[in-house]
Amino acid sequence: MRYKNYIKWSRMPTTWCPGCAIGIVFKQLTFTLEDIQMPKSEMSVVSGIGCSGRAAGYFDLDSVHSTHGRALPIAEGIKRANYKLNVIVFSGDGDLVGIGGNHLLHVARRDVNLTVICINNETYGMTGGQMAPTTKKGTKTLTSTHGSAYFPMNIQQIVTSTPKHFYARSSAFRISHLQKCIKEAIAWEGFAFVDVISYCIENFGRRMGFKSPFEMLDKIKQDYRINYKPEGLLGDFELGILKNDDQKS
Amino acid sequence: MKRLTMGNEAVALGALKAGMTFFAAYPITPASEIMHILAEKEGEIEFVHAEDEIASIHLVIGASLAGSKALTSTSGPGMSLKQEGIGLAHMMEAPLVVVNVMRVGPSTGMPTLPAQGDILQAKHGSHGDYSPLVFYPCSVAECYRYTMEAFNAAEESRSPVILLLDGFLAHLSETVDLSKIKVEPKLRTFKPLGHGNRHFTGLLEKGGIPRTKDTAYYREWYQRITDKMQKTANNYRFFEYLENKTADTLLIAFGITARVIRPLKHRYSLFCPIRLFPVLEEELKAAAAEHERIVVVEMSDGQYQGEVERVLKRDVLSVPILGGGISLKEIEEKLHAL
Repeated sequence: MRYKNYIKWSRMPTTWCPGCAIGIVFKQLTFTLEDIQMPKSEMSVVSGIGCSGRAAGYFDLDSVHSTHGRALPIAEGIKRANYKLNVIVFSGDGDLVGIGGNHLLHVARRDVNLTVICINNETYGMTGGQMAPTTKKGTKTLTSTHGSAYFPMNIQQIVTSTPKHFYARSSAFRISHLQKCIKEAIAWEGFAFVDVISYCIENFGRRMGFKSPFEMLDKIKQDYRINYKPEGLLGDFELGILKNDDQKS
Repeated sequence: MKRLTMGNEAVALGALKAGMTFFAAYPITPASEIMHILAEKEGEIEFVHAEDEIASIHLVIGASLAGSKALTSTSGPGMSLKQEGIGLAHMMEAPLVVVNVMRVGPSTGMPTLPAQGDILQAKHGSHGDYSPLVFYPCSVAECYRYTMEAFNAAEESRSPVILLLDGFLAHLSETVDLSKIKVEPKLRTFKPLGHGNRHFTGLLEKGGIPRTKDTAYYREWYQRITDKMQKTANNYRFFEYLENKTADTLLIAFGITARVIRPLKHRYSLFCPIRLFPVLEEELKAAAAEHERIVVVEMSDGQYQGEVERVLKRDVLSVPILGGGISLKEIEEKLHAL
């Protein structure tokens, strides 16, 4: 099946702004689905609320667009009710790590066989650009007008805190690496989290002085390097895959 | 076989009999026994001890969409948390059953004395307009029967059906023969996830496409949903009416209160609604027509009395029994003082 067949063309154009990173990641996911020839009847996509949350409706298959932060428990319910379905959660950082943060801790602990693709753009885009739990310290947003006073949430350490884990960090720029991460995450037997470094130009980047989505993408290109053989945790500006199949400890 | 059975146990057994295969909840007294009993069935059913009440209702919604008959159980504080998911299930038309064993509130209140203060929450708890089906049994045998009926009503209406209990009834043990109670289970009316390109969303949608600026379509959709709920409700007219030809007063009570006032049937007519919502309008009107005074005896400050007054369009008196304690003597005194 071609990647085009996974997309619900009647829903186009998307709600996303021109040049948005979500479109890039969405397309890479459909490329990956084509690559592994995933039958549409054997999968479902679940989203939360927000710009990324709209992704579920753009797939031409049975999909669920839940309430804010609840993509993970709904996905777990689906997976536990039908183990044959490949359940992919496609949502943003505010949804998965902010309001849905508690669910992230526990669904990861229960090691539910889900693939989570997190659009990490460090802001709440749909609501106008407020501070997210992933916003870097010192960044000015609508709700941190003097610069965020807090360190961002360390998603890597949360997801890798259980002995058996899969955490991948990729970016909207390194698309072949992103495809590799998604492919491995889908194949992983257990909870797999793909943290995709992304950007929001209209409600975040412009306030920080970026002139175009390209400038933000280029910044990600400059900042992040792939570490193919990470030892221990990934560095702040490293992309890579951390996985451990240890069931015992 | 006759056996001493607790209200909560009857709910768990009724759910299993109805074909429930997915249960998720968070522990809370006085509803936990439902969880304990179903935990022993792990393997036969999917059982999740979730991280919180919000997770458990959403787990159940996911399972429902994936084809399972699903149940979650809680008490007041947890019910407040579940409201978000209840609204979502109404919007997505996901059939499921939520059990709320009522205790004294607001907030943590008086753990865990019984109450009937979540009546209006059952109807209006989630934001926006919707008209849920709410059942409230008043004996252990009825807990079993109406759990099964709740599952059937959920399938028929494609909505979350609320089964209310109170702390007394949940912990009441009675000798019953559950094998004699038979309710034919209803089957799922739509295909589970993985059978098409449907889009289940909390947004107003038509054919999978959000219609978030379409006022006319909202009105059309709302009429369809309301009609559907009323149509289903018509098949579930559950109540008990003990008419006393010599009485000029009709007492309305439900749950444990209906049990407590039963000895008063020689002096009053008694009406016990089991389907609390949508209100049994015709039945209530017919019963009320024969009586000069209507009194609602309930363990809340007139929540259902207001509903009855709205339906009957005449004065309805209230006997509130607050704070978790209930006795026939107190109710008799209050009735005399009216």
